[in-house]
Amino acid sequence: MNSKIMTASEAVERFIFDGASVGVGGQNAVGAPMAIAHEIIRQRKKDLTLLGCNLAMAADILIGAGLVKKCECGTCNIGYRGIPSMGYAARRYYQEGKLEIEDYEHLGMVSRFLAGEMGLPFMPVMSSLGSDILRYKAPSTGKKFEIIQNPWNPAEKVLLMPAAIPDVAIIHVQRVDEMGNVIMEGFVAHTPEMVRASKKVIVSCEEIISSEETRNYPEMTTLPHIYVDAIVEQPWGSHPMATYRYYDCDVEHLRMYQECAEAALKEGKSGMEKYEDYLQEYVLSCDTFNDYLEKIGGVKKLMELKRRMREVM
Amino acid sequence: MGDIAYKKEELMVIEASKYIKDGEIVFTGVGLPVVAATLAQKMHAPNMTIVVESGVIGPQLKLVPLSIADSRIMRKAVRLGSLREVLGCVLQRGMVDVGFLGGAQIDQYANLNSTVIGDYYKPKVRFPGSGGANPIASHAKRLLIITPHQKRRFTKKCDYITSPGYIDGPYGRKNAGLRMWNPSITIVTDLCVMGIDSTSGRLKLLKLMPDVTIEQVRENTDFELIIPSEIGAVDLPTEAELRLIRKEIDPERIYFPDN
Repeated sequence: MNSKIMTASEAVERFIFDGASVGVGGQNAVGAPMAIAHEIIRQRKKDLTLLGCNLAMAADILIGAGLVKKCECGTCNIGYRGIPSMGYAARRYYQEGKLEIEDYEHLGMVSRFLAGEMGLPFMPVMSSLGSDILRYKAPSTGKKFEIIQNPWNPAEKVLLMPAAIPDVAIIHVQRVDEMGNVIMEGFVAHTPEMVRASKKVIVSCEEIISSEETRNYPEMTTLPHIYVDAIVEQPWGSHPMATYRYYDCDVEHLRMYQECAEAALKEGKSGMEKYEDYLQEYVLSCDTFNDYLEKIGGVKKLMELKRRMREVM
Repeated sequence: MGDIAYKKEELMVIEASKYIKDGEIVFTGVGLPVVAATLAQKMHAPNMTIVVESGVIGPQLKLVPLSIADSRIMRKAVRLGSLREVLGCVLQRGMVDVGFLGGAQIDQYANLNSTVIGDYYKPKVRFPGSGGANPIASHAKRLLIITPHQKRRFTKKCDYITSPGYIDGPYGRKNAGLRMWNPSITIVTDLCVMGIDSTSGRLKLLKLMPDVTIEQVRENTDFELIIPSEIGAVDLPTEAELRLIRKEIDPERIYFPDN
């Protein structure tokens, strides 16, 4: 059998296509699949639909690169340590009418993935009722929901949300073995449901381990290899966001990104240039994510982020 | 006691913490709610259980976490699970006693907006959106909101209802199909404490912050707030409460910066 281990470049080339719906893992400051997002930008895969609960930094930079036409999500949120919470690129594209956001809430979105992962067409949800989440939909969206009577208690209303089945999921985790068995540490947010609902899955990881290890402690496996199509070994692959137990969020770099994204929103042409310069410097001019890691401060900075995570633990 | 200097945000947090009882399950978001929950845990509710949407159950927070998915929020938890587990198996099934919320707009029925200001399709400002807020508003038994009191925030009608309060009246939630149809809602601001009037489903004044007048509250509220004949007073902070906040919970003063 062919190995699933490949470079980010190979994984994106094989599994991400123009117009794809892409499920994005991680939740705001933790576990963003940044290495894969950078590679998608380098390969200019466009007209993407992003799905997730909290679409954070990975989504914002894909939106800022002009590659996203729509998000289906609970939030587009980057907030961390006093850094403003809305992704500025997401805000700019939405306010300029260049991005559709299909607003759900986190429970509704994870319920949609839950339907998808179990091969069901929809899932009952009891939130969203009475809110404007049920009043407005993105222009290109078909039927967003249905409200039925509970067949066993006709006095009760039940909201149905359609299954979400991304073409590809992109996630960053701590460890994967060479078969593709995924071991996640810390909270997992919506990632397991989303991965099992997706048609293809790209996993980048801090370390590749031996499947002997997996077989000794199979109860530690978060997701078995049957869901995984590509394994990308990329230490610090969620920088500037954190990977639990490995390294903390790079607040300084994140703030710099947010300043560029804010400038693009508020300062017109010169602000736009700042943002374009960021993309050029940190993504487009890099051959690989390792080149980026050199530019953000290299081993010295990365070891500092490791130290900060130890303080948290 | 009256001469202890304090910040109004500190008193807001202290007041809010009193609405949490020992043994309860408390769903926190980010910002001041985490400070209030942690303060309650240290003051009078050592057996409360904090849950956080990213899947964290029962953390013992030390440094105040600054984002829902900050690694710091996982400290000494009893379980690090999933979003479905917390929002579905704890919140939606009705186990959460107190849920914290916030919003860019709050209207007279305590509906909250954290999605857009202006038209949904052509907004003046786009905000992040619901996240876990809508499910919290839908399913928690009691809702707690800590927010600055500004006229533009306390608006007649939300531009977008992200998280339902009483929607449009006392039975608004029931008509919409929400099982938790009559939750208690408490809003703590720098001017006052408000709650829901059960006959109208609208907000009413409950308590005033020290040295604040009804007139000030009215001036900073864009809708007609119900003013009952008897209004309580928020207690001044104690030394013990302030010491906990300053020395133990937020020693770096991240949430209470000296301007």
